[in-house]
Amino acid sequence: MSTTTSPWDARKTELELPEEIDLQLEVANVGSRTLAILADIAFCGLVLFIVYSFSFLLSRDLATDWITRFGANAMEIVLLLFIFGFQWVYFNLFEWLWNGQTPGKRLLHLRVIKVDGTPVTWTDVLLRNISRPIDTFGPMALIGLLMIFVSRKAQRVGDLMAQTLVIHETVIDWSIFDQIEPAESATSAATARAPAIRLSSAQWELLHRYLNRREQLPADVRSRLAETLHETLKPLARGTELELSALPPEQWLVELARRT
Amino acid sequence: MTLGNFVRKNRPRWQRLETMLGVIEARGPSKTDRSFLQELIALYRATTGDLAFAQTHYRGTTLLLFLHQLVARGHNQIYRPHRLSVRAVARFFRNEIPQAIRDHLQAVTWSTIVFLLGLALGLSAVQFDERAASIILPTNVLNSIYSGHMWTGSIFSVLPAPVASTFLFTNNISVALLAFAGGLSFGLVTFVILFQNGFMLGVAIKLCADYGLLGALLEFIATHGVLEISSFLVSGAAGFVVANALLNPGSLLRRDALSQQGRSAVRMAIAVVPALITAGCIEAFISPSHIPVWFKVVLGSTLGLVFWLYLLFTGQSPRAVNPEI
Repeated sequence: MSTTTSPWDARKTELELPEEIDLQLEVANVGSRTLAILADIAFCGLVLFIVYSFSFLLSRDLATDWITRFGANAMEIVLLLFIFGFQWVYFNLFEWLWNGQTPGKRLLHLRVIKVDGTPVTWTDVLLRNISRPIDTFGPMALIGLLMIFVSRKAQRVGDLMAQTLVIHETVIDWSIFDQIEPAESATSAATARAPAIRLSSAQWELLHRYLNRREQLPADVRSRLAETLHETLKPLARGTELELSALPPEQWLVELARRT
Repeated sequence: MTLGNFVRKNRPRWQRLETMLGVIEARGPSKTDRSFLQELIALYRATTGDLAFAQTHYRGTTLLLFLHQLVARGHNQIYRPHRLSVRAVARFFRNEIPQAIRDHLQAVTWSTIVFLLGLALGLSAVQFDERAASIILPTNVLNSIYSGHMWTGSIFSVLPAPVASTFLFTNNISVALLAFAGGLSFGLVTFVILFQNGFMLGVAIKLCADYGLLGALLEFIATHGVLEISSFLVSGAAGFVVANALLNPGSLLRRDALSQQGRSAVRMAIAVVPALITAGCIEAFISPSHIPVWFKVVLGSTLGLVFWLYLLFTGQSPRAVNPEI
C-alpha cells in the first residue's frame, strides 16, 4: 500500500508481532466510530428515559405516604447515579470488562486495542475515557471527529494519551471456502485423470464464493452470474476436455471447481 | 500450493483455533486447563506461519483478511495482561497513588496557587464592589444572605439528605475529572475550574462576613471543606501534569510525554474519587445538622489531615513497583 492514501480509504495499521510477521488490521473510520457512540448514547438514553419517567411519576405530589416518597427519593438517586454513570462509568466499565468493546462497539465490530496490538489495560481504558468531555461529548465532539479524520491511526486526543487505537474486526465466515470434493474415481475415471486447472487465488475465491452462495440467490441472478463467470473463466480451461463440454454454465463451474 | 489445497489442508486447524478462542474469550484463561492452553498456543503458532505463507502467496484475498483477524484475536488473548487482582488493587491504592502525588508536588503547588489567586480576587472583588457577587453566586443564595440567614438551611430542607449527597458527590467528581481532562486543553479548562472555585469561595466568605454570617458559613464548611478543597487541588494538579506534558515535553515526543505523564496523572485523579464521595455525604448529612461545632471542626480537620498524610507519607515501599496492571 502506498503511503499517499486518501483519508477516505480504509486505513490499515501495521503491527509487528513477536512471531515476526506484520499484522495488518483495519483502523475503524469516522463513520463507524460515530455510529458506535450514537448506539451507546441511544442505548443509555432509553434506560435513562425509563428511569426518568418513573422518578417523575413517583415524585408528583399526588401520593404523600412515606412509601411513595421513599420510592421517589430512591428513583432520584438512581437517576443522578445513572447520568453520572453514563458520563464516567459506562465506557470505562465495558471497555475494561469486554476487552475494549462497549455495546455500541460490539454492534459495529469495533474494538479498542493498544497501538502495539495487545489488549487494553484498565489504565488505558481510564485515560481514553476520562478525556471524553474534551473530545467526545457535546460540541467538543467536533474536535474528536476532526482528530479521527486527520490522524494517521484515527486516534482522538484520548487515544493519543492512552496510546490506543480502535480497529474494525473482520467477521470470519469460513463457509465461503467450502469446497466441492474432487469426484471419486469410481463414478468417473475421466475426471480423476483430468489435469488440474490452475486458477489465480482471486479467481479461485470468486468461483467458490459463487458456488457456496448460489443456493441463496434468486433464480435469475443465479443463472446470470453463472453465465458471466463462465465467460470469464472459460479461457482457463483451454486444452482440457472442459473447453468443449456443452454443460450448462452452472454445471460447468462445478466441474471446474472439481479440477482445481 | 494452490489456494484450494492450502485451504483444504489447513482449514480444520483455523476453525479449531477459532472455536478455542471463542471459549477463552468467554471464560478467561484461568478457567481453562493446561492442555487446552498448550493446544491453543500450538495452533496459534501454526496459524501465524500460515499467515506468513499467505502474505507471500495469496495477496489481496479474503483468506488473508480472515487469517489477519484470526491471528489478531489469538495475539490479543495470548498477550493479554493479568486480570485485576486484589493485590494489584491494594498496591494501586497503597503505593501507586501516593507515589504519583509525590512525583508531582510541583503541580499541586501550582494548583494551590491558582486556587488562592481566585480566592484573593473573590475577596477583593466584593470588598471593591458588593455587586460583584452576583457574577458567581445564584440569586436565591444572594437573597438569603442579604436577608441575614444561611442559604444552606433552605436547600437542605427541600432536598432529602441522601439525594443531596448523591447530587453533591456526582457533581463534584464530574468537576474534578473535568479538571483532569481539561489538562488536554493545555491547562486552560483546569485553570478556569480552579480559579472559579477559589473565586466563589472568596466571594462567599467576604459577603457572609459583611452580613454577619461568617461564623455560620465557616461552621458549614468546616466538616467537608478541607477534604473537598484538597480534592479539587489534587485533581487540578493532575490536569496541570497533563498540560505540562503537552507544553513542555522535554526530550520526548509530545505524544510519548502525554502518555507517560497521563499515566501518573490519572492515578492522582482517581485518588480524588473516594475523597469526594466522603465529602459529599458529610456535606449533606453532617454539615447542615445541629451537631456541636467543635465536633464538626475536629471531624473536618481530621479527614483533611488523613487525606494529606495518606498522599504524602504512605506507601513508600523500597521494592520496585510494577507501574502497569
